Amino acid sequence: MADILTLVFKTFTSQTGGRKELTVAPPSPPTCSTLVVGDTGISRSVLLLAAVTAASELGMRVVFFTQTQIQSLPLCLQKRVPSLSPESLKKIKFSYPRTVGELLQQVAGLHESANTSPTPPSLIVVDGLEGYLCGPGAGGLGGFHPGEQSCAAHLSALLCDTAAFLTQLLRRCSPSSAPCRVIASFRSAVDTGEASATDSALDVLDRYFRVRCTLDRDGSYEAAAAGLQEVWHIYLSGTGIAEASSTKDCEDRPAVAPEWKLLISPDGLMEFELV
Amino acid sequence: MRSFLPAVAEQLFRDIQQTHQETSQIPDDLLIALKFVFGPCALQALDLVDQHSVTCLSSPSGRKAFQVIGGSGRLYTCFVSCHYCPCPAFAYTVLRRNEGLLCKHILAVYLCRATGGTQQESVSDQQMSALLGGTAAP
Repeated sequence: MADILTLVFKTFTSQTGGRKELTVAPPSPPTCSTLVVGDTGISRSVLLLAAVTAASELGMRVVFFTQTQIQSLPLCLQKRVPSLSPESLKKIKFSYPRTVGELLQQVAGLHESANTSPTPPSLIVVDGLEGYLCGPGAGGLGGFHPGEQSCAAHLSALLCDTAAFLTQLLRRCSPSSAPCRVIASFRSAVDTGEASATDSALDVLDRYFRVRCTLDRDGSYEAAAAGLQEVWHIYLSGTGIAEASSTKDCEDRPAVAPEWKLLISPDGLMEFELV
Repeated sequence: MRSFLPAVAEQLFRDIQQTHQETSQIPDDLLIALKFVFGPCALQALDLVDQHSVTCLSSPSGRKAFQVIGGSGRLYTCFVSCHYCPCPAFAYTVLRRNEGLLCKHILAVYLCRATGGTQQESVSDQQMSALLGGTAAP
């Protein structure tokens, strides 16, 4: 489920909206995978925010895979995360596989540390799936071939299966613990100009990722007039969302709100608003 | 794997499991239903079951995966909790054309689980990682 992302949005809601709710969304189904679709830079910031929030607010161990080195934590994150400490940052393990082969190997090897490490990771983040699946190293010549579709399926299935295995381990340590989640980002077709190639990749990814979180830039005049650098709309969709909404008991609104707004001020500060 | 299948398929596997426990057989009506739901790959999957082609691999970490020996003798590694098979039929029929629910190898895994016909084998953690990541020698 998208509970980690929802927690991120709730935690960083604008001050006028108040920071009342700091609880993770109620019962999550066994598979918890979310695909963030949108601009690379913003997706990366949202993923980092998710990793840092999970580590600092929930004390979770996080594995963060990305092709691009993270030199330092963005300033806006340092300002916004109140309980950020070196201790909680140590809970995040950054890993930099260069190719999809290396990424598969590293994800496949996550179970090996199960016997040596005290607690398994509860969140697996993959930044920039398109770089692994559609990049020059992915083996294709521009297009997205059946072999690459199979590769996208292999990676997604491995991520989901690994999360399912780690969930079992987490539950063995503490029966009430929340499941291990996967959050990955994928740049949308609009930005790349290779609509057909990325669409067939998305088709495959949607089979395995139960929730899609779409980031859509608001280019309207109002946004510019408000003196904000950027305004993004965030939509949560997918089968996972429908399930979460149908399992709610007597609450008036669904467990997971389907739409949020992300406001980025000129100094890079990110704030979320429930729509 | 269950949540990826339509209810009719799930019910079918439950029926097969129950009948097989009681009679050690899969009656004709369930075989016909199997063919109706999964098409031509049902027969091929039953062949794989007959040939004891499905092995459940476990490693010391507790991780499990299924390995299916294909008709040509090639080994295919399938996951425990979701559908994926590196075979060409899965890439083409399931992923690309969206015409089938699964390939004969994954169907064979379901049938072996229902009929208790899965072989068991232990591998090291490193071997398991190589198999899951697709880097093991075929």
